[in-house]
Amino acid sequence: MEEMVASAAYGLYLALIVAGGLAAVRCHNLVRALIGLIMTLFGVAGMYFLMAAPFLALMQILIYVGAVSVLIFFAIMLTRAPGGEAGHESLRPRMGLRELLSVASGLLPAVILAGIVAGYAPPALPLKSEVPLARLGQFLTGPYVLAFELISVVLVVAMAGAVLLGFERRKGQ
Amino acid sequence: MNPLVLFHLAALLLLGLGLYGITRRRSLVGMLIAVELMLNGAGLALVASARLTPAADELGQLGALLVMGLAAAEATLVLAIILVVAKRWGTSDSATISSLRG
Repeated sequence: MEEMVASAAYGLYLALIVAGGLAAVRCHNLVRALIGLIMTLFGVAGMYFLMAAPFLALMQILIYVGAVSVLIFFAIMLTRAPGGEAGHESLRPRMGLRELLSVASGLLPAVILAGIVAGYAPPALPLKSEVPLARLGQFLTGPYVLAFELISVVLVVAMAGAVLLGFERRKGQ
Repeated sequence: MNPLVLFHLAALLLLGLGLYGITRRRSLVGMLIAVELMLNGAGLALVASARLTPAADELGQLGALLVMGLAAAEATLVLAIILVVAKRWGTSDSATISSLRG
């Protein structure tokens, strides 16, 4: 019974990921592509839940759905062509070869890696018990303190850089 | 089928979709969306490897958390770059951004 529910949940999340991912890469309207991306993010969060990693699933929703997708929405709205529709990607007539090459470039690495994974995967263990949040925190401030501090520095530098790039000098100075 | 393989196939699907999107899209924002797809696949693969093999659990989960932090930083920076490009060229179409200037 439990096995069946898990398989059904996996199928549901996979369907979310596939449908959202296809919308994210194929829609000509970027706002719709962003909605597809958000759907995919929810699907991945569901997979984290399925692997008994609820902290990561909530972080995924908080960081990606809450912050990153809002940033992308800002990017779509701020680059609107004057008078044009927001987030519309221009089309060009001859797409055949380009489309084919795109499919090949996406499919080739994925298929090669899938072959390797399917061929050499170790037998999966039964799911381990959930890691308590306190233990993750201890690891983050213990063995991983350098990575933790570095990611903070990276975030500060990225934001300072973004402010610097977006800074506009006043006219006449 | 082995659940480890299943989760890794989902991650590889995200990688393939992202690569397809990044080569197909014409605007910088579309490429950013494709990159986010690939980063999600990376996080999923990390967590699956940590949860379903004898590897340390905290390693994979905190690694995925760091990937999310990097994705947030990258999205911030790309937003600023897109704004500068849109201000200078009037569009974020990747085909028009073809001149370099020191």
